[in-house]
Amino acid sequence: MVIKLENVVKIYRLGKVEVPALRGINLEIPRGEYASLMGPSGSGKSTLMNLIGALDRPTSGRVYIDGTDIARLNDDQLALLRRKKIGFVFQQFNLINKLTALENVALPMWFSGISRSRRMRRAKELLELVGLEERLHHKPSELSGGERQRVAIARALANDPEIILADEPTGNLDTASGMVVIELLEELNKLGKTLVVVTHDVEFGKRARMRVKLRDGMIQEIEGVNHA
Amino acid sequence: MLDYLSFSFKNLSHHKVRSFLTLLGVIIGIMAVVSMISIGSGMKASLKEQLEQLGSDKIFIIPRLAYGTAATTLTDEDADAIERVAGVAFVSPLYSVAGDVGFRNERKIVKIYGIDPEKAEATFGGGASGYRLLKGRWLQRGDRYKVVIGYGVASDVFSRDVNVGNTLKIHGVNFDVVGVFKKTGDREKDYTIYTNLDTIREIFGAGDKVTMIIARIDKGADIDLVRLRIERMLEKRKGSKENFFVMTQKEIIERVGEAYRVVQVVFGGLAAVSLIVGAIGIANTMIMNVTERTREIGILKATGASNAQVMKIFLTDAAILGLVGGGIGVALGYLISLVINAVAARYLGEGVLTTTVTPELVLFALTFSLVIGVVAGLYPAYRALRLNPVEALRA
Repeated sequence: MVIKLENVVKIYRLGKVEVPALRGINLEIPRGEYASLMGPSGSGKSTLMNLIGALDRPTSGRVYIDGTDIARLNDDQLALLRRKKIGFVFQQFNLINKLTALENVALPMWFSGISRSRRMRRAKELLELVGLEERLHHKPSELSGGERQRVAIARALANDPEIILADEPTGNLDTASGMVVIELLEELNKLGKTLVVVTHDVEFGKRARMRVKLRDGMIQEIEGVNHA
Repeated sequence: MLDYLSFSFKNLSHHKVRSFLTLLGVIIGIMAVVSMISIGSGMKASLKEQLEQLGSDKIFIIPRLAYGTAATTLTDEDADAIERVAGVAFVSPLYSVAGDVGFRNERKIVKIYGIDPEKAEATFGGGASGYRLLKGRWLQRGDRYKVVIGYGVASDVFSRDVNVGNTLKIHGVNFDVVGVFKKTGDREKDYTIYTNLDTIREIFGAGDKVTMIIARIDKGADIDLVRLRIERMLEKRKGSKENFFVMTQKEIIERVGEAYRVVQVVFGGLAAVSLIVGAIGIANTMIMNVTERTREIGILKATGASNAQVMKIFLTDAAILGLVGGGIGVALGYLISLVINAVAARYLGEGVLTTTVTPELVLFALTFSLVIGVVAGLYPAYRALRLNPVEALRA
């Protein structure tokens, strides 16, 4: 299992009020799986996504990413894990506006200590892979939404991670560009990446082999997997 | 490191106005520091030079001024008495007066020093002393109606240059110019006519009065001890020591130096204030920077940047602001010090105030601005790295 959660509880504190976002999640996602996390807003799917992405630690329970329990890692170890194992694709694209497409894609490789020439070469290859070879030196503000999301996908691939996490990747896109993004992500899955998508778009969610439905911080149903 | 620099340059140039304003704060601070300190150290240097120039083997005895006139009169007899004090090699009585001086058909008021011609060279010339002949010769024993003139008198006072061989009419009496001194840079010295003490006192009816006595001490004698002896002796002769000053050159310079020190402290204070303003400017920009870039910090962290890397990014920003601001500030401060030099030379006279920007000062200013940049950036950078990536991304 590349992702394994055991009795995961996440409670947010808003002042004195405790808001339980996840209340006991058990989930296993095998390597190379294509999984979707679905549920209404407030169901805890984004919180779950943040835990799988090692952006946050659980209040209790265990989150194993490729065998490592993230609850035991310090900030730097978490950063290292994100850098090596995880590529994020966000609804808001989350590109850095002052950098060109090429520089945005090269950014994660900078943190990995890859030489400038190597990371520029690889960034260029990745942008070609997502069909943006004409847009290398454009800044995000000069790109369409679909193009921006493709830059984000290229960036997610920069350090050749095990897992691609996509949080509502089509949420800000029109249907046509959304489709391009979905197909691109699915292609990556076919190439062996574990793909986890958070979406409330039922049509999109249904395309995944493994479909996890969340409600009120708990797993309501898992489809497409033979769980014993 | 290069990557951090290029990332910072992109960031700073992305926010041009803000970066420029911050930079301006640092520039003004460092510029003020450099120009202020250059004035201060220039004053110190010229003071030291004057001290060295004057030598430290002379004691000056002058009557104290009371209500605009001398409280006591020094005479030749006093001079003779001082000469007999142990440790005094010889004395030069001096009579100074502002006299009416004619050259061709012009008449001007010029300062005249009457000195013993025999001792003129020994008192004012030679060694490290400020007087050097440009033309002609020194006054000599037996010179009665001869003058040696300062550079300013020769070149500036009259519409035509006064030269060796010309005649000056002092108070209606003709004097031959036998020598011209080189420029000393001291206005007082350069605009004075030097002549025979007895002759000038005769012309101005000053009897045996002297306005100043310069005592040169024996080689190896303790100057403070000799000064004390002169003071005691004069006290007995004149009844009170309140009526005259007995000062060594060191004391004179020190008195002036005291005044300079106050000026230096004031300048230093101004500079410090401008620096603090600069530092607050950087800190302010950096805090704004972090607040505005919260989301970017989230992105950096999500894509695998460690806390140390995020911190480095922000500190690089601050260091660049500090260093670039410092560099420009140093350059402008240097320019200002050059302007001050030019103005001082024009209006105060050559060599009176020469500002100095030493390599140490440049190094200090650059280090200082870098340190200020980094320190001012530390807190914001610390805040940046404490941010939880999830919260940062939500911003």
